[in-house]
Amino acid sequence: MAGCLAALGARESGVKVAVLDKGGLLERTGSIAAGVDQILAVADDGEEWDTPDYLLQQIPNLTDGIVDLKSVETFVRGLPGMLRKLEKLGVPFRDPATGKYFRHRTFGLPGAYHIDFDGSKFKPKIARAVVDSAAQVFLRTMAVNLITHQGQAVGASAFQIRTGAFLFLRARAVILATGDTNRLSRNSSGIPFDSWHCPYNTGDAQAMAARRGALLANMEFTENTITPKGISSQGTNALTGLGAHYINAKGERFMFKYDPAGERARRDLLTSAIISETLAGNAPIYCDCRHLPADILSRLEETLGVDRPSLPRWFKEKGIDLTEPFEVTVSEFSSRRGGVYFRGSGILVDANTGTNIAGLYAAGDCCTVSGGISGAAVMGYEAGREAARFARQNGVEKPALDRELEMEKARLFAPCAASGRVSPRAYEDRVREVVTDYIGYRRTEGNLRKAVEELRRLQAEDDDLRATDAHELMRVHEAKNIREVAEMIATAALERRESRGSYAHFRADFPNRDDDNWRKMIVLKKGDGGYEVSYRATGAKSPASENHADTD
Amino acid sequence: MPILINKDLCVKGCTLCDQFCPGDIIYRLDAEKIPEIRYEDECWYCGSCEQYCPTGAVKIVFPPEMLQSQVPAVSLFGKTEEGTSASSMGKTKGQTGVPKA
Repeated sequence: MAGCLAALGARESGVKVAVLDKGGLLERTGSIAAGVDQILAVADDGEEWDTPDYLLQQIPNLTDGIVDLKSVETFVRGLPGMLRKLEKLGVPFRDPATGKYFRHRTFGLPGAYHIDFDGSKFKPKIARAVVDSAAQVFLRTMAVNLITHQGQAVGASAFQIRTGAFLFLRARAVILATGDTNRLSRNSSGIPFDSWHCPYNTGDAQAMAARRGALLANMEFTENTITPKGISSQGTNALTGLGAHYINAKGERFMFKYDPAGERARRDLLTSAIISETLAGNAPIYCDCRHLPADILSRLEETLGVDRPSLPRWFKEKGIDLTEPFEVTVSEFSSRRGGVYFRGSGILVDANTGTNIAGLYAAGDCCTVSGGISGAAVMGYEAGREAARFARQNGVEKPALDRELEMEKARLFAPCAASGRVSPRAYEDRVREVVTDYIGYRRTEGNLRKAVEELRRLQAEDDDLRATDAHELMRVHEAKNIREVAEMIATAALERRESRGSYAHFRADFPNRDDDNWRKMIVLKKGDGGYEVSYRATGAKSPASENHADTD
Repeated sequence: MPILINKDLCVKGCTLCDQFCPGDIIYRLDAEKIPEIRYEDECWYCGSCEQYCPTGAVKIVFPPEMLQSQVPAVSLFGKTEEGTSASSMGKTKGQTGVPKA
């Protein structure tokens, strides 16, 4: 989504654009490849809560005080305009029966900001607009490394994942928008690609940016969701949003023990409550819809398959329907945003999506401003326009890169040499073992040190990774990227010696929130011996000023 | 096998399942042969191939691990470090360091 809107923003600014995507059809790639059933929106058409100003005032509290308010302001102020823009592109946000938005309040937000809608055609509409804009689209193409020249981003290396054709793209500006990182930890089916979010999003942007010296932040915060036991699926947020209850093995509705908002609490608090109940011996945990009226139940049944077309049949084969409670647990975790909107875990961006590398921009779930589909759309579009402006004013005109080209080609295809002994699948499995067991949800210094150590030991095997064809070469580069993100998570989690954001970052050895020392972002920069750590103020000065959107 | 293709229903030369798969799993390289499920371990079980097959020839098959998960939930939460308080967690409420409103 962020990449497509970036392409549109850049094309509307009149520059030439190349889009690289690992998928085979732009209409069906990325996080909402299969569809989406709700979107965060500010309509700005009457209600007091439904304005950017109102929402901005709540941001510091919604993010536990760790957020870059300046960049979030770009996101929130762009929401009403983006809603109209997406509608113009043909996305049907209004309920066809009433002509109005079907809105509900969820995830601890201070108003009914989410619109329920049939988003099964969302990505195809946006992708079609990109193709119609005459952007050049390279499909089944994996970008591997960022190319820089005199400290400025001037292109990327890539290859076609079926043919192995090498691409060396020169550009006056580069936008990274590869989404979040998945396949990081174990889940309830034990199948790594059975993931809540798109398993083909593997932190490619985060890793390639890090390797070239970009700054990344908030990497300690990880995210998961409530999911039916056995399938890590999107599409269950609507259950919570439309009033499902969660009960434990004793039949107790327990969410109010953890948050006054009960099931309407923030996502991280919901999943954390389920973890706490499970650890307290109160599992299995069930989702209970028995109290919901028939019209809501039928609406839920209709929308279950929007995010994940296969989900209704999974329910059927499992022999469960919404008239009886069904067992849930938490999914594997992703590196995206730590359960709260507005604060992303990834490439550190400024208010205009720029990074510390000239000519390099980032948007969507790979950067520090993450707000679901709408965040990706607003910030992607902003990145497109900003990158176009930079390209016209400061872009480097085709520097001589022949030597870099040859070196890059050799580096990219090195795993195809016959000497490699390590399978990318085995390598990735080991990352998941380390992340699950030693980062996990009950973090401690000893375990986190072990995680960093093990992940760095695994990196020593990078040169031994083996690829037998172009597809396997993709698996090698993906596995390395997933490991890189895991090392960043472990490093930042080790650094943050407090607990914040519930199980998004819980240190069992520092169980309390410590605003005096840790109300700041942890920033990482890749060095020779691991990641260097620094800090960054958030713009939210103190807890006392949280009710005012202080953007100093 | 996560994806089954009915050869009697599959239309020769159609490549929609290959294209609609958000991964790189289904290969329809030969119009005369049914699509090949080349990387079965990489299926997301999203159902796009099944949903967009124009003749209903594609079916997602959930494996036993997904229909009868035996994975203990606690095993997903990480190991506890010996000699720390982590192993006794979950016994009290409000232990996550998040101030209550």
